[in-house]
Amino acid sequence: MNDLLGSITLAQTDFPEAMGTLTLAHYLFLSAAMFALGLIGFVTRRNLIVMFLCTELMFQASGVALIAFSRFHLNHTGQTFVIFVLTVAAAEAAMALALVVLLFRKRESLSTEVWTEMSG
Amino acid sequence: MDALINPLALYIACALGAVGVALALPTRGVSWRVPGGLLAAGAAGLVILLLSLNASKSDQLPNLYFYAFAALALGSALRMITHPRPVYSALYFILTIIASSGVYVLLAAEFMAFALIIIYAGAILITYLFVIMLATQAPVEGDEESQADYDAEAREPLVAAGVGFVLLAILTTMMFNGLSDLAPKSDPVEREEMVLKSIPLKVDRVLADAALLEENERVGRIGGEGVSEAAIDVEQRTIVIENTETGENRSLDAEQWPEGLYATNTEMVGYSLMREHPGAIEIAGVILLMAMLGATVLSRRQVEIDEEAKAHEARRLHGSEGPS
Repeated sequence: MNDLLGSITLAQTDFPEAMGTLTLAHYLFLSAAMFALGLIGFVTRRNLIVMFLCTELMFQASGVALIAFSRFHLNHTGQTFVIFVLTVAAAEAAMALALVVLLFRKRESLSTEVWTEMSG
Repeated sequence: MDALINPLALYIACALGAVGVALALPTRGVSWRVPGGLLAAGAAGLVILLLSLNASKSDQLPNLYFYAFAALALGSALRMITHPRPVYSALYFILTIIASSGVYVLLAAEFMAFALIIIYAGAILITYLFVIMLATQAPVEGDEESQADYDAEAREPLVAAGVGFVLLAILTTMMFNGLSDLAPKSDPVEREEMVLKSIPLKVDRVLADAALLEENERVGRIGGEGVSEAAIDVEQRTIVIENTETGENRSLDAEQWPEGLYATNTEMVGYSLMREHPGAIEIAGVILLMAMLGATVLSRRQVEIDEEAKAHEARRLHGSEGPS
């Protein structure tokens, strides 16, 4: 099993040799590390805008994983799905930032603690 | 997993990274930010060193580009979640984006790499920067360096970093152990010819450039004019070339195909997007439309400042003048 993992490189036949020495696991490790950092940021930071930035970091991590799998299977559907991830990220940014500006104008603060109770 | 990295070393690196990130997160008072950042960077460096050492053992050159881009992405992601000023966070996130688009290029996803820079770094992050600048409290006179409490102090840094790195350790263990059951399956060549089939004009042009087409000749069309496909036999790997004047056909075998005859990454992604997921595009369009409507409706509302916020602001301004 480990043998297989070591030997599966991401190289296509006509791709330069030096590019093909990495395994899928390297890319997935990068993606997982980025996701974990984004999660830590989302939980610890108390500024609404920085929290949304951290969700974007998690989107980015999922994009790296999708592209790595797309290369591994030599199937372009993974890359197509990164386009949809980008779409959702853009929609989220538009809505979230409009909300953040609205909330900031109401309480003059970006802290999450100001909004612990909301009504209506 | 042993083939790539020693599990014990991986868990030690995760623990070091957790402590480092927890120290690097912003706090009031004595700052451990620099040693914490160095510790987290050291943990990442340990993992990279181990990965590359093992790679060289099994006759594989470590790929410098990958390690450079990965270090850049993770380093700036760390700086992004630990920087107390939101503007710098956003700028470091742009650096993360650029590094991960470098990784995309290594993975032969050129189209998405450039789309990422244009859409993310160019559009979304600029919106973030705008909002950060719009929605920041004006500094109190004479004390420009002061920061709001919610930026200066992280919430539960130790617990959050611990939980995050436990998640990372579990994810990497699963990845390194379970993935090998998956084998790459699809036949790329066949897919590529499916794509070439749907762009007859490009096939015409490439063949003409390679001087494989006589005068009055072109690649045969299936399905008539307008919605036609090129007459490529995907299984036999032959192209049918027809003479438009005499109507005679001849076929071109795979050995004679010119080198330039392949589908680029953009064409492959476009084919996958338009032929295989047309419904998803419609849904994406609806999502974007809803986001646009929602943002417009939200920003039209007149907002009254709360009484509480007014009082808070008054206290803040008053407190900065008098003795605190």
